[in-house]
Amino acid sequence: MNHRERVQTALAHEEPDRCPMQISFTPEFADRLRAQLNTSGNLHNPHGGGNTYAIERALNQDMLLTSVGWANSYYATDADTYTDEWQIDWQNIEYQTKYGPGHYTEMVGHPLAEDAAIDSYQAPNPHRPELYTEAAEVIRQFKKDYWIVGVTVTTMFETAWALRGYEQTLVDLALNPDYVERLFDIPLNYHMTAAQKLVELGVDMIWIGDDVGSQNRMLISPATWRRFFKSRMATFIATLKSINPQIKVAYHSDGMIEPIIPDLIEIGLDVLNPIQPKSMDPQQIKSKYGDALCFWGSIDEQHTLPFGTPEDVRNEIIARLKTIGKNGGLIIGPTHHVQLDTPLENFMAMVETIANTPYSAL
Amino acid sequence: MLEKIYENVIKGNIAGVTEGIQEALAANQDPSTILKQGMIAAMEEVGRRFENEECYIPEMLIAARAMQSGLSILRPRLIQANIEPIGKVVMGTVKGDLHDIGKNLVGMMLEGVGFEIVDVGTSVAAAQFIEAIETHQPKFVGMSALLTTTMPEIGTTIKEFQKAGVRDQIIVMIGGAPIDQKFADEVGADLYAPDAAAAANKTKMLL
Repeated sequence: MNHRERVQTALAHEEPDRCPMQISFTPEFADRLRAQLNTSGNLHNPHGGGNTYAIERALNQDMLLTSVGWANSYYATDADTYTDEWQIDWQNIEYQTKYGPGHYTEMVGHPLAEDAAIDSYQAPNPHRPELYTEAAEVIRQFKKDYWIVGVTVTTMFETAWALRGYEQTLVDLALNPDYVERLFDIPLNYHMTAAQKLVELGVDMIWIGDDVGSQNRMLISPATWRRFFKSRMATFIATLKSINPQIKVAYHSDGMIEPIIPDLIEIGLDVLNPIQPKSMDPQQIKSKYGDALCFWGSIDEQHTLPFGTPEDVRNEIIARLKTIGKNGGLIIGPTHHVQLDTPLENFMAMVETIANTPYSAL
Repeated sequence: MLEKIYENVIKGNIAGVTEGIQEALAANQDPSTILKQGMIAAMEEVGRRFENEECYIPEMLIAARAMQSGLSILRPRLIQANIEPIGKVVMGTVKGDLHDIGKNLVGMMLEGVGFEIVDVGTSVAAAQFIEAIETHQPKFVGMSALLTTTMPEIGTTIKEFQKAGVRDQIIVMIGGAPIDQKFADEVGADLYAPDAAAAANKTKMLL
């Protein structure tokens, strides 16, 4: 069974030889992995734009990600500050770990902060051919063996808040519904075009995403989500499936979003990511929604990977394979990019346990 | 009139709150009563609704903004009448962490129940927290971190408070997505709350 068949089998709700694996990491963690695995590469993009996939392939991962959209503005350069093509200002900010210093890129300036700015705002053009050359190359080189995911996360809400400012976007959701409609459509149209082109090029799955969950509840009410998000996402998914009825669509939201899972199933979602175990119980989510949905993620990144032991990591993976991974329907991996605070022993325990645990041994 | 203020704080209607306060002041209503029965009562109700999942962050945010806007009008009258805040809180996100929506919400909810907030901003080093403690002499210091990579900075900062000899004069409260009571106990924080409404309730109980 090759990587691609493994993912196909899991997404058909059947057990492959072993659970498919997908793991992303921050650029600094990628540097540590390169040293460990003796691979080469450039500044690592955790969303999958512009990578060589040397690390992913050396780790025996099953899905390769290729990204078009605003999310590529994260970790775009090593510069202290930069402005992306959406006119959003970024700052590199350092943090310390026992494995040395890391950097996050954080948004510090928002082009639509003023109400009237939206009237004259020009979004980048998603039709530029050069945006898709990498995806075409990944498909050409790897689709035979790997499951290829076109990434258009930060699909509307997250890019909208990057343009407008987070707090103000939340205020707008409560007070300025007409403005929110206009604001959301800017990134939505861009990512819709990008996703369509990626499907036409031949990716196997499109990954969309917007964080609407906090640690233990939704950030916004389910009613607000239904008012602004649901029909837009429904159109997005239906459009992709009209181009290729076999295409799978995955959706990412951090945190607790259980109240909207039935809605996501209703609008045709195939895969839900990342199922943060401290926010939603993977076993319960599987038993309630596992017939209709597949899952991607589920390994705790808030405690087990950074602060647990290799034994904790192994135990968690086996527990997940026996519950949310039972009868297939799971692509296992951490619930976010692995961070620099994670011990390499924990990381390798994760990779080796996944790779060396056939379903038949459970 | 107080009802008008109360209703408009809950609705997040800044113009309505402003108008209500001006009318109440023009009618010689006691500023302390306006604050307590019009605004604090409204924010307590917003906190209750939040905890019961009858409202969410956008609704909490607009109520808090309406409250803040009302406070800016009322504050000179409160000072004139010698009405003090119920306590002072210095708060910020720890060094390396720029994610401030949680910290801002906690600040707004604390202000909503009558505290004075000294917001020292984002990515605040221990030395800056200590300077703010020495300058403002707060009873409470609030710190937040969204990320596992920055949350250890909370423990580091508390240790720096001890070294600087200010730890015993303050109550340290912490929060943020990866934080829980166990972590709070490990780093020696006094108070942990999972959300802004709970933070306001718990802090008030420690007065």
